[in-house]
Amino acid sequence: MNTFKWLLKREFWEHKGGFFWMPIIVGGIMTLFIAVSLLIAVLGVKDGMQINGVAVSNLANVVGPEQKADFAARLVSGYAAVSLPILLALSVCIFFFCLGALFDERKDRSVLFWKSLPVSDRATVLSKVAMALGVGPAIAVVISALTAILAGLLICIAAAAAGVNIFGEVLGNAGTYLAPVQMAALVPIYALWALPTIGWLLMVSAWSRTKPLLWAIGVPLLTATLLSWINRMFQFSWDMGWFWKNIVGRLLASVVPGSWLGETAQSLPSEDAMRASSAMSDLLTHSWQLLGGANLWIGVALGVAMIYATIRLRGWRDEG
Amino acid sequence: MSAIISATGLTRRYGKTIAVDNISFDIPAGRIVGLIGPNGSGKTTALKAILGLSPFEGQLKVLGLDPRTHRDELMQQVCFIADVAILPRWLRVKDAVDFVAGVHPKFDRAKAERYLANTKLKPTMKVKEMSKGMVVQLHLALVMAIDAKLLVLDEPTLGLDILYRKQFYQHLLEEYFDQNKTIIITTHQVEEIEHILTDLMFIREGKIVLTSTMDEVGVRFVEVMVSAENADQARTLKPIDERQVFGKAVMLFDGVSRDTLEALGEARTPGIADIFVATMKGTYA
Repeated sequence: MNTFKWLLKREFWEHKGGFFWMPIIVGGIMTLFIAVSLLIAVLGVKDGMQINGVAVSNLANVVGPEQKADFAARLVSGYAAVSLPILLALSVCIFFFCLGALFDERKDRSVLFWKSLPVSDRATVLSKVAMALGVGPAIAVVISALTAILAGLLICIAAAAAGVNIFGEVLGNAGTYLAPVQMAALVPIYALWALPTIGWLLMVSAWSRTKPLLWAIGVPLLTATLLSWINRMFQFSWDMGWFWKNIVGRLLASVVPGSWLGETAQSLPSEDAMRASSAMSDLLTHSWQLLGGANLWIGVALGVAMIYATIRLRGWRDEG
Repeated sequence: MSAIISATGLTRRYGKTIAVDNISFDIPAGRIVGLIGPNGSGKTTALKAILGLSPFEGQLKVLGLDPRTHRDELMQQVCFIADVAILPRWLRVKDAVDFVAGVHPKFDRAKAERYLANTKLKPTMKVKEMSKGMVVQLHLALVMAIDAKLLVLDEPTLGLDILYRKQFYQHLLEEYFDQNKTIIITTHQVEEIEHILTDLMFIREGKIVLTSTMDEVGVRFVEVMVSAENADQARTLKPIDERQVFGKAVMLFDGVSRDTLEALGEARTPGIADIFVATMKGTYA
């Protein structure tokens, strides 16, 4: 277990840029963006603004307690929106991390150094899986929570500056405290869902001698194109849409957070519902329902099989 | 004492080319073996088989274990610098020391730090900021601090200046080596290691062409500077090599008694490099 801890540290040293600095930078840019917009808005209010044709210099006169509560609820439901850019950037980062994980060490031949230490191929490969699906998302979730808190705070301060105090409403809304926990509860679903893509990318990374990106994308894409072509040529009535979505999509795009949405029987929360304070818990329920379907588990099984193949490949690949 | 490495019929093919051709040898504990051969002779391939880095045919036991199936156990006892020493570019000196200390039960941190103190390496330095020689220094400091039963060094001092090379081999002999350890070294700079070797193994085109202890080498091989009038007589003894120096023939003999040869001219024990060149004649022809 101690070895595994050091393997994770090793991955963190190598990929600090992608897994640590990247979410901080994206979060920072978003916070800055929000701060500037708010500043402009607050200055606009001070200059005098018109609501329904009536000039108001103090918002406090026109905003009632009900509107305040509604605003607070919307603010809380905006949590997912704040997290989204960070999580999307994370998925790109995980994609390329996996693709390079076992290829780069062979390319620069440092694999010979790693293999001179008493660390098994299994521990090495699993540490990379744990980095991609555990440590990476965990850091991103924590940083999105901090970004959301900072953004919420800025909005509350701006509202206060405009004469509307919503601190009480925001702090009194259960969603304020639940949202980060709910977001963290999505990580296990994400990890299970992304497993086929992670397995595929790691396997290509351990197998290819050159250009892993080309192999990883090329093989499923060409297969699907070829099958589509045969399908049309001979007028087989294969369901190519199914192939693209369930084979190509699952092999390449399952690292995108939320790519599972729409997979379960329960319909997605409507746009109106998304704005409601229950949006996060609806999202969570929807996601956890995946555990009851075969789609997720078939992907998990294939992902595990490909990770096993990766471990064997790392042992067999003869460098030199 | 049982053999540390025991190979029987070790073979490795790359497609149709045979890199290692049915070789058999035993290496007992407490030896420093020089594995010497020209480029492409199969040295590195043989070492990779020993280290479980590449598949092979035949029988091979390292510390009693099959490197193909027991690599993880083996690496507790074996350490190596394979090929040109390469460390990942992003690695920092202090992280490298922490990592090896974390995963290797036989790593002596204080020792590594002592070696590092003798270099210009600083703890926060990254490999990509280092010169080639510094990378090798870091790698050697890490490897020399591991108390392994078998140490394999494939061209360990490539890119190092002569001061550091001398210092390294001295350390290897004085501080690292003892009778429970075995070291296998390959290098092209044969002259620099001949005084520390206990055994010699020449490999050529995948076959072992000479295996001998250094003591035997001194008895077996004799170089004689033969004057012109004795040259024909000397040639009847079948020298394995002959060259001309200042009008005199310098002949290298294998297995001819020193007394016989001393009658023909000035006899001396040749260096490994001379024996090597004579043995490998025609390799590139």
